[in-house]
Amino acid sequence: MEKRAFKKALFFVVAFMLAACSRDNSSLKITGSDTVLPLTQKEVEVYMRRSPESKISVTGGGSGVGIAALAEGIVDIAQASRKMKFEEILKIGSKGIAVEEIVIAYDALAVVVNNDNVISNLTREQLEDIFTGKIQNWKEVGGDDIKIIPYSRETSSGTYEFFKEHVLENKNYKNGILSMPATGAMIQSVSQTRGAIGYVGLAYLDKAVKAVHISYDSGRSFVEPSFENAGNRSYPIVRPLYYYYLTASESKVDPFIRFVRSDEGQQAVKQLGYIPFTQPAPNNDEKKGEI
Amino acid sequence: MDRKIKQRIAFTTFRIFSVSVVLMLVSILGFIVFNGAKAINWTFLTASPTEGMTAGGIFPAIVGTFYLVVGSMLFALPLGITAAIYTVEYGGETRIIRIMRIMTNNLAGVPSVVFGLFGMTLFVNKMGFGSSLLAGSLTLALLALPLIIRTTEEALKAVPDSYRTGSLALGATKLTTIRRVVLPAAFPNILTGIILSVGRVSGETAPILFTVAAYFLPHLPDSIFDQAMALPYHLYVLATSGTDMEATRPMAYGTALVLIFIVLLMNALVSLLRNSLKNKNSNE
Amino acid sequence: MMKRKGKYKKVMERGTERLLSASGAVTGIVILFIVIFLFREGIGLFRSPDVEKGYALYLNTKNPVEQLTPYEIKQIFDSEITSWDQLGGPNKAIRPYRVDDIFKEYPEEEWGDHYELLSGKLEEVIKSDPNIIAFLPQRYAPPVGADIKELPAKNITIAGFFGGKEWLPTATPSPLFGALPLISGTLLVSFLAILIAVPLSLGVAIFLSELATKKTRQVLKPVIELLAGIPSVVYGFFGLVVLSPAIQKIFHLPVGETALTGGMILAIMAMPTIISVAEDALDNTPRALKEASLALGATKWQTICKVVFPYASSGIVAAMVLGIGRAIGETMAVLMVTGNAAVMPVTPFESVRTIPATIAAELGEAPAGGAHYQALFLLGCILFLITTMTTVIAEFVSKK
Repeated sequence: MEKRAFKKALFFVVAFMLAACSRDNSSLKITGSDTVLPLTQKEVEVYMRRSPESKISVTGGGSGVGIAALAEGIVDIAQASRKMKFEEILKIGSKGIAVEEIVIAYDALAVVVNNDNVISNLTREQLEDIFTGKIQNWKEVGGDDIKIIPYSRETSSGTYEFFKEHVLENKNYKNGILSMPATGAMIQSVSQTRGAIGYVGLAYLDKAVKAVHISYDSGRSFVEPSFENAGNRSYPIVRPLYYYYLTASESKVDPFIRFVRSDEGQQAVKQLGYIPFTQPAPNNDEKKGEI
Repeated sequence: MDRKIKQRIAFTTFRIFSVSVVLMLVSILGFIVFNGAKAINWTFLTASPTEGMTAGGIFPAIVGTFYLVVGSMLFALPLGITAAIYTVEYGGETRIIRIMRIMTNNLAGVPSVVFGLFGMTLFVNKMGFGSSLLAGSLTLALLALPLIIRTTEEALKAVPDSYRTGSLALGATKLTTIRRVVLPAAFPNILTGIILSVGRVSGETAPILFTVAAYFLPHLPDSIFDQAMALPYHLYVLATSGTDMEATRPMAYGTALVLIFIVLLMNALVSLLRNSLKNKNSNE
Repeated sequence: MMKRKGKYKKVMERGTERLLSASGAVTGIVILFIVIFLFREGIGLFRSPDVEKGYALYLNTKNPVEQLTPYEIKQIFDSEITSWDQLGGPNKAIRPYRVDDIFKEYPEEEWGDHYELLSGKLEEVIKSDPNIIAFLPQRYAPPVGADIKELPAKNITIAGFFGGKEWLPTATPSPLFGALPLISGTLLVSFLAILIAVPLSLGVAIFLSELATKKTRQVLKPVIELLAGIPSVVYGFFGLVVLSPAIQKIFHLPVGETALTGGMILAIMAMPTIISVAEDALDNTPRALKEASLALGATKWQTICKVVFPYASSGIVAAMVLGIGRAIGETMAVLMVTGNAAVMPVTPFESVRTIPATIAAELGEAPAGGAHYQALFLLGCILFLITTMTTVIAEFVSKK
C-alpha cells in the first residue's frame, strides 16, 4: 500500500521534472530599470490582453543589470532610465553586436517637501547645497527655522543617479543621507516629516506632499512640475526612458515595441503619470536619444 | 512580609510581560487579518496582478512559492534525512560526528541573506543557472537543510533502542532494521520537521531576492530555468514600491494574510500531528 | 542462491553506508563552500584599485601633486576641495574633468567612427590646463609622457574598509567603502533588540515554567512558537505601516525610521527563540533542588532567584546569544524600517543602515566582479563570522 503510494509520488516528481527541464526561447524577456518597471508592467498587461498567446516576463534589478544582460544575450529588451554609459557602449561594441535604442516615454522628477513647509521655490544651486549637506536649515533658503532632512533613494536606483547627475552635477549626496528603498516609502516619509525634502517621479506626485517649483537659471524663473511643463520641456528635470534591444532580434521585439509607441501604448504611459514621447521635444534632446 | 511583597511584584511583572507578548502577537495577527480579509476574494487568489499591481490577484506568486517549496524539498529532504540517518544510526559518538553536529548548528545560524549571497555566486553566476527556479530552490534547500537534519536526528533518537536490538536479534541486517523498523517508527516526527521547514522556506525573502524572484510575471514559469514570482518578495514589492501607495496597500495586506495563513497552516498541522502522536502513544 | 543473495545484500549494505556517510558530511561541505566562495570574492576587494576599474586620473606634469587618497579625490570632484594648495600644490583653482565633458565641447564628428580621435582631443585638453584633474577611461587615455602624468593606482586598504566612516559605493571616480557606520549600525540595532527582548523573554519563560497552570502553558507555548514562524517580511510590513509612524508621533521625532524601530521589530522576532530556549533551561532544574529550597522556608520567588536561575544560567546565556545571532542577521524587516542612512549612530532615535540591509538593497545593481560587489561579499563574510561566533559561544556556554 505504502509502496504504491511512494511509487506514484516518485512518478509524479519525475514527470514534473522532465516537463520542467526544457528551456524555450519563445518568450520575450524584459529586464532592467526599476523606474521603467511599472510602465513596462502596465504595457505588457495591456498588450497581453490583446494578444494572449504571447509570453512576456518583466523583471527589475536596475538599468545597469538590464544592459549587461542584453550584452550577454540573456534578455531581449533592456529597459533603462538613463542612456548607456560610455563604458557599456564600448563593451557591447567590442563584442561585435549592434544595439538599437528607442525612447518610449519621458519621466520628470519632482522635488517634494512637507505640506506644512512655506517654501515653494528653489533653485538648482540651492538643491545642490541641500542634498550635499551645505545648507542644513530651512531658514537659509527663506523658510522657517527647521532642520532640513533630505531623503534620497537607494544607490541601486536609476533615479538616484539621474538626480545626482542633473541636479547635483555629479557631486555626492551628503554623507549618511536617509535612503528609501522605493518611491512609495519616500512619499510616506516626506508627508510625515516637517523638515523633509525628497525627489520622486512625476507619476508618484499626490496631495500628501508638496511639489516645489524649480529654477535652472539662478532664480529668474521658477517652473512648476506638471505634465504640460514637462511635456514642453520648460520644466528642467526631465529624462527620457529607453528600451535597448539587439538589432539582430528586431523582428522578435518589434511587435511589442511598436505597440508601446502606438497611441494605445502611449495612453497607458499617460495613465501612469509619465509623459508620452510624442510630445514635442527640443532638438538637443532628440539628439541625445541616439547613440 | 517584605519578601512576599517582592514575590508578588515579581510575579505580577512576569504575568504582565506574558500578557503583553501575547497581546503583541494577537495585535499583529489581528491587524493583518482584519485588513487582509477585505482584499481576499476568489479573483485575488486566482488572477495575475493588473493595473500596475493595484488590482487583480497574486496567483503567479502563490504558484511560484509552491514551486520553490517543492523544488527545495526535492534537494533538501533526501540529503538531510540520509545525513541524519548516518549520524544517528552509524556514527556513534565519534569526534567526526561531533564536528558534523557543530557544522549543522553553525549552518542553522547563518543569516538568510548570506545564503542569498552564496546562492548568487555559486548557482546563478558560477554554475550559470541564471536567476531561475533551479537556483532559488537550491539556495532555499541549503537553508532548510540544518532544520531537517536536526529534527530527523531527534526523531530517530526518540525511537527506543529495544526496537533496533529486537530487529537485529531476529536476523535482520542493519539496513533492513533501519528501513523496516526505525524509519516507520520515526516517520511522524520526521514529518513534523518537514512541515516546519516548508513553513520556513515559504516565508524567506532574502535568499530569493537575487536567485529567482521576479517583479512581474503574468504567466506561470514553464521551466526550471525561468524566474518566478514568490509571495514574500511580492509583499516586499507591494509594501515599498508602486505608483499609487493608497491603491496598493489592500493588495499588500491580502498578500501578507495569505503568507501568514500558509505559515499558520503548517504550524497547525505540526501541532495536530504531535497531538495525535501523543494520543497514539498513550493508547498503546 | 541464498549465499549469493547474502553477498549481494552485504555489498548493498556497505554501499549504502558509504552513501549515507557522504551525505552525513553535507553540512560540513556546504559551510566549506560558503567560506570559500564568500571569502574569495570578499578578499578580492583589497586587490581592487581605489579608482573605478578601467579608469585613471590624469594630471598635467606641471602640477607637483603626485598622490591623492580616495577621500581627497571624492572631495575634489564634490568641489569641497577647490584649490591645489590644499593638496600641496600651487594656489590655483582645481578643474575637475570627466570624459563626458569632452562630448559637450566637441561635436560628434570630431571623435572618429570608433572614438579613435578621442585620445588626441583629451591630450590637447590636459596639455592646455596645468590645473586640470581628468578622470578618463584608460583605453582612450592620452599618452603619458612629457606633458601628462597618470596618478599611480593604489589598492583599497583594509584600514580604509574597517576604519572608513563614509559608505559611498557608487561614487565616481573613487568609491568609498567605509564599513564602520554599517557595522556600528548593525550592532546598535541588535543591542537595542536584545535590551528589549531579554527581560521580556525571561519574564515570559519564568511565567511559563514556574507560574502558569498546565493548561495555560499548553495554550501559550504553541502561540509563542507561532511568532517565530511569521515571515520577517510580514514583520517589516507591520513595522513600516504601524510601528514607525507610531514611534515618530510618540517621541516627536523628525523621522520615524530609526534604530529604535528596527530594534523593536527585531526584539519581537528574537523573543520566541529566547523564550523557548530559556524555558527549556529553567525546566531542566531538578525538582529536588526546588523542593529542598521551598522546604527550607524560601518563597517561590527566592527559590527562582537563588536556586533555579543559577542552575539554568548557562542555558539562559545561550538563549541570549542565540537571540543576538538571529537579530544580527535579520534582513528584510530591518531594511524596511530603519531608514538606511549610513551614518555613525549617536542615539537610538536616528536612522541607521545595517549590514544585511545594505547587501539586500545594493547587490542587485552591483556589477558582478566589481569592487562594489566584492565589498558586499566582504560584508557577508563579516556577518558570517559574527554569527558563527555566536553559535560557537552558545554551544560552549550551554555545554557548561
